[in-house]
Amino acid sequence: MKKSIILIALSVALFGAPRVGDKAVEFTLASLYNQTHFVKSDSFQGRVILLNLWASWCSGCQEEMPLFVKLQKEYPKEKFEIVLSSIDNKIQGALDFLAEVDKEKSLTSLYDGDKKLPKAYRCPGMPSSFLIDKDGKIVEVYVGSLDEEAMKELKEKIKALLGV
Amino acid sequence: MKTIIIVFLALYMSGCSQKLVRVMPYEKEYFAQDKMSLSPIPEQSEQEGHVFLIREASAGGNSSFQGGCGCR
Repeated sequence: MKKSIILIALSVALFGAPRVGDKAVEFTLASLYNQTHFVKSDSFQGRVILLNLWASWCSGCQEEMPLFVKLQKEYPKEKFEIVLSSIDNKIQGALDFLAEVDKEKSLTSLYDGDKKLPKAYRCPGMPSSFLIDKDGKIVEVYVGSLDEEAMKELKEKIKALLGV
Repeated sequence: MKTIIIVFLALYMSGCSQKLVRVMPYEKEYFAQDKMSLSPIPEQSEQEGHVFLIREASAGGNSSFQGGCGCR
C-alpha cells in the first residue's frame, strides 16, 4: 500500500508541470544569433529573469515583443534580463522577426527548436512567460501576450524582486 | 492494492490518450500558416463573395445593410 502511494506521488512529481514556487527548469540552449554558442540556465543565477517562450508565427508573441524590448531597456541586464526562447521550426523566421523588432539585439535570444522548454513547462498557451527570481524559483506564470496594463503589474513585481 | 494499481494505470493511460489527441499550443506552427486558414487569400474570397451575391441576387444576405438588388 505504502509503495503504491509512493509510486503515485513520484509519478505526479515527475510528470507534473512546474508551478509558481517551484524551481525553474534547467536548460542548455543555443543562442539564436550564434548557434555554436550555448547558454546554460545557471548563467542567469543571481538575476531576475523573464523567460519568454515564443514563436514568430504566434500573433500574441509578435504583439508583446516591442513591449519586452522597451522593458529591457529600463533595467541593466546584470539585474533583470529578458530571455527569449524561440520554438520556431525554422530559425530564420525568428531571426527575421527580431531583426525588425529588436534591431539592437537588446533581448537575450535562445533557440529551442526541439521545444524542450514548452514540453517541460507543459505550456497551456503561446506565448508563455515565467518570472524567475534570483534563486531560480518561479514567481509568476503568464500565459498569453502581455499588454501595457499587464506590463505595469510585471514592473511592480520586478521592482519588488530587485528590492528597489 | 489491485484497485490502486488499476486507478493509477487508468489515470496514466488517459493522460497518454489526451496527449495523443490534443495538439499542444506550441505544436501549432503549421496551423498558423496562411495557407491553413479558411480563406488564405482575403482578396480572392471577397471577390468570390461579390460574384456570388450578384449571381444569386442576394446582396445584403451576408450583412446587415443593402437592399438585395445586386447593384453594389
